[in-house]
Amino acid sequence: MNDFLLWAVALGPALLAEGLLARYEVLAYGAGWRAPVTELPEGVPYARGADPDRPPDAYLVYLDGIGKRRVRDSRDGGQLVRAVLAGAPELRVLGQVQPYSPLADPLADRPVWSWLRRRVGLVLFLHNVMQIFVAADRRYRPLYNRAVGSQIATQLRLAGYRPGSGIPVVLLSYSGGAQVATGAVDELCKRLGCPLLLIMFGGFHNGANDLTRADHVHRLTGSGDRIERVGTWMFPQRWPLFRGSGWNRAARGGKVTVHRFDPATHVGPRSYISRSALLPDGRTHLARTADTVVELIRDHCRSDAGEGPRP
Amino acid sequence: MTPGVVALLMLAGLSEALGRATPVAVRRRGVPRSRMLRLVLAGAVVEGTVFALWPLTAWTLAELLLGSPPPGDGVEWTPGLVAPLVLSAVLAFPLLGSLLHLLLFVGVGAGLTGPLSAASGLGWWTAAGCVSVAGVVLGVAVEGVRRLVVRMSAADTAEAP
Repeated sequence: MNDFLLWAVALGPALLAEGLLARYEVLAYGAGWRAPVTELPEGVPYARGADPDRPPDAYLVYLDGIGKRRVRDSRDGGQLVRAVLAGAPELRVLGQVQPYSPLADPLADRPVWSWLRRRVGLVLFLHNVMQIFVAADRRYRPLYNRAVGSQIATQLRLAGYRPGSGIPVVLLSYSGGAQVATGAVDELCKRLGCPLLLIMFGGFHNGANDLTRADHVHRLTGSGDRIERVGTWMFPQRWPLFRGSGWNRAARGGKVTVHRFDPATHVGPRSYISRSALLPDGRTHLARTADTVVELIRDHCRSDAGEGPRP
Repeated sequence: MTPGVVALLMLAGLSEALGRATPVAVRRRGVPRSRMLRLVLAGAVVEGTVFALWPLTAWTLAELLLGSPPPGDGVEWTPGLVAPLVLSAVLAFPLLGSLLHLLLFVGVGAGLTGPLSAASGLGWWTAAGCVSVAGVVLGVAVEGVRRLVVRMSAADTAEAP
């Protein structure tokens, strides 16, 4: 009983505050009280990888999981980005997008959050979890999608992307980043007119966003990934019953390809981006994920190029 | 009503108002912070008052049903009964939240039913009926106020240069 009280007293007000703070940010964006941040801190490049003087084969935007709280890569996400860059130097990779901030304002740079991070690091994760639910909420979703879609479009332009160039844009998302990636499709197509490929691993999303304008969606999933499974149970639009949902329409239209990464888990030593878990072929889980991502992008670029010259 | 209960009712009203006002405000580009603050505070007072009126309305309905003044002194909020309502802003997420929001009100209503039944002498189910009808009537009334405020607020925003 004491444990319950402790949790209720500690977690209840924190949840309440988080639930409201998470909505405040989308409110500040929608009402125009604050302009989204576009500039990166000194020394942070707008993109890494292929030489900026010549068009890359594709632009890859990495949308991290709930651990994302600064412009620079998180520890785990950074490993994957580095592995992808090492395997595919023909790509230009952006890792600075803030999936959990409509104002593109990294959580770690806010004074109050810095103070909290030193004392109660858990609330930072809680904040980003709440942002996923705000992004999934039908009342806030259109605005949230527009906010993050325009953030990605702005960062792509600053990284050298020319609208209408026809160079594919790949949204590589992990966990809650999938909610943001599926939501950004329309805004990106509208602003950049780009071919879009979505690759999600451990994707946690509500399945409501329309994926008509995406070329294809690759879902990387593992039998040990309980968090992804919770997402498919929690959101009715992921249930087969809701045939009209964006996700189910995309799946019926053959746009979704599932890749089994058994027995990968969502987080921990057997996760998709683990450097310690080994496969029978001797590769690490991280290497398998990075190899698959690179392979999927190259296949997409080849099929895209095979369809004829870009406009 | 003790000051603690009044404070909790206002906090619950604020929570409900925030949950209701933010989805409307996010779609209005150019809503000044001061107007948003006024809207939320006015909403908090309205919602808090409606919460305060819930047991009174249920008691009045019980009186009407009995045809004579019930034996008890009435029903009042207690901190334990009203506290869950403070969570209404967080629970007002659709799909996941609408159901939780409804469950929250059903749970609080069930909490009110026991004291009403004991004080009025009505059976539990009849008392539950009074609490439900009172809740629905107040809910419909406050929804009317909300829609009116939204319409007036939209007209103001449209007229603003």
